Amino acid sequence: MPAKFDRNDSSVVVIIGSGAGGGTLANELTQKGISSVVLEAGKRIEITDFQNDEDAMFALFTWLDPRTASGSWYVAQTSPDLPAWISKLVGGTTVHWGACALRFQEHEFKTGTRYGAISGANLLDWPLGLKDMEPYYDRAELKMGVTGTHGIPRLPVSNHGKVLFAGAKKMGYTQFLTTNMAINSVPRDGRASCQQTGFCIQGCTFGAKWSTLYTEIPRAEATGKTEIRSESQVLHIEQDQSGKVTGVVYADPKGAIERQKARIVCVAGNAIETPRLLLNSSSNVFPQGLANSSGQVGRNYMKHMTSTVFAVFDKPVHMYRGTAQSGIVMDEARLDTQRGFVGGYQMELLPQGLPSFAQNIVPNAWGRDRAWIVDNYVNVAGVWLIGEDLARETNRVTLHPDRKDKYGLPIPDIHVDDHPNDLAMQKHAIGQADALYKSIGAKRTVHRLPFPSTHNMGTCRMSENPRDGVVNRWGQSHDVKNLFVSDGSQFTSSGGENPTLTIVALAIRQAEYIAEQMSHAAI
Amino acid sequence: MKVFNWTRRFSRRGFLARGAATVAAVAATSGKVLADAQDARTVGPGGLKPEQARTLVVFTRDLFPHDQLDDSFYQRAVKPLEDEAAQDGSTKQILALGVAWLDTKAVSVAGRPYAQVGEESKRVAVVTRLKQDPSAPRAFFDKVYSTTIVSLYNQPELWPKFGYEGPSSAKGGYLSRGFNDLNWL
Repeated sequence: MPAKFDRNDSSVVVIIGSGAGGGTLANELTQKGISSVVLEAGKRIEITDFQNDEDAMFALFTWLDPRTASGSWYVAQTSPDLPAWISKLVGGTTVHWGACALRFQEHEFKTGTRYGAISGANLLDWPLGLKDMEPYYDRAELKMGVTGTHGIPRLPVSNHGKVLFAGAKKMGYTQFLTTNMAINSVPRDGRASCQQTGFCIQGCTFGAKWSTLYTEIPRAEATGKTEIRSESQVLHIEQDQSGKVTGVVYADPKGAIERQKARIVCVAGNAIETPRLLLNSSSNVFPQGLANSSGQVGRNYMKHMTSTVFAVFDKPVHMYRGTAQSGIVMDEARLDTQRGFVGGYQMELLPQGLPSFAQNIVPNAWGRDRAWIVDNYVNVAGVWLIGEDLARETNRVTLHPDRKDKYGLPIPDIHVDDHPNDLAMQKHAIGQADALYKSIGAKRTVHRLPFPSTHNMGTCRMSENPRDGVVNRWGQSHDVKNLFVSDGSQFTSSGGENPTLTIVALAIRQAEYIAEQMSHAAI
Repeated sequence: MKVFNWTRRFSRRGFLARGAATVAAVAATSGKVLADAQDARTVGPGGLKPEQARTLVVFTRDLFPHDQLDDSFYQRAVKPLEDEAAQDGSTKQILALGVAWLDTKAVSVAGRPYAQVGEESKRVAVVTRLKQDPSAPRAFFDKVYSTTIVSLYNQPELWPKFGYEGPSSAKGGYLSRGFNDLNWL
């Protein structure tokens, strides 16, 4: 049964956020007997609240608090007030995610040394490597039930996948199959198997997709050592004169300001809210923001190179039927600078329902040509191109100079100027996807440049040297021993893979470290 | 380049939620569709005039021209604009000015108000000018476009016209309903 902690109880670990990072960390800590209070800005809903309705679910659990976008990136033009498409509810973006659960490749942890000096980029090696991560990837995959790993069968191939794979074969690609998915292919861990509803990102109505909402969080609560406080947005992290954090100030569901004391604070609000909170928590000790002696808090924001190619065929595809993103071509994920860029990209299925497709296919276009594409909806296939983008110091989350949220705190601005490497990769990826679909008879392809970012990374990055980043190899602040970052903000590079599996693996690893440090009374 | 604004899409959620309820109710009693659409044109004092609403219907069809859709779909797509105009003077003014602009240009191009111009190509020429002419009321285009692109395609009754089968969970997903039935490759 859920715990109830006193606000003056300074023995608890306070975890900010309940998604892939925070939700996992809470459960991992609590299974080791460590008590935690999870403060989640969003509300708590249950699986029964999910509907197969794209717009209703977008409205129900998207993070819609004011944000701005600036810089030359496409998203700043197309959705300047909604630069990221992530979730605000208990479970965080694990309710919304597509569930592609891929490991990073070895070289992606070592971009500083493997990619060499690249002008205009701020590359750095992670202070850990694939070997360090492998045992934790194993545990994350077992926890999440990732198909294609540990003997868990893969999902079946959908119509949409058949089209992608036929094109991949014509292209001479060899690494294509249904993706490693954190979606049950068979009943497992008390959850049902995938029924191919096609509404993964609206919240899985069968609970076949792993989400902390109905796995980690109830398990943590069942120990009696975790309390989840929903609709509780943290505004400020408090510190003492030595610079140690002592607790957090948050707004409760009624907007009243409360204070929760803490032995340790772990921030997992995603790569936009996490640096925003640290920057909003400046003090005498940290005048430029909490844990920001390096000046790197908020910098090196990464969101992956992305684009989508939709192809119109003569015959039906019905891309909306079946597990949304279960199909991948991995041949282009390799490091091969012959292509004119460093890093690589994945090609992953991206279906859309008719309303979303019709609304987003060609931004702001009208008339017969656009209508023709929509008329051919049933004959359309779509692939999402997602690859590594490079850290840049000037791509960053900052506090808006004028605009404030309802609590009077500056809202975040997300500034991105695409690096030439990102644009070269984007051009290559779109060209390959075009060729893939045309090789099997596509009449026409349509290029959809990036949607608002669902992968947000890098804004409190790990570094060996405290000068270069915000946290160490455990996600622990270089400056403040009892402050941790537990989400994708830690990423030193973005890799060419969807980030969630790595976030979960890092949270498992971090929980071990915290438990060990607490046992020595080191923190 | 001016492009579709996600923010506008969600800022309208309040009335969209109501609009969705209306659409669902209409879907349940499809015989009432036309009657409801006609009722919409007689919303309280301060709302749009019937001929203004009619112009919006034709304009919306020109933005998203699907020959398989009869006018009732476009009438329901325009309904949120009518409702908002009935409650909000600034919206009403944006729409009234825009309709007047369309009519003025249509008269100069084709000799009659926009909704009465029979040739699509001539109406398209007017819309093209609306997008290109720096003195044209862009707020009108943006308002109608960003509203109706949602309210048109969100009508569940419309989905079968595009072959979209929509919600599947209540039917057990697509697991036994064709998720892997493609055989033309």
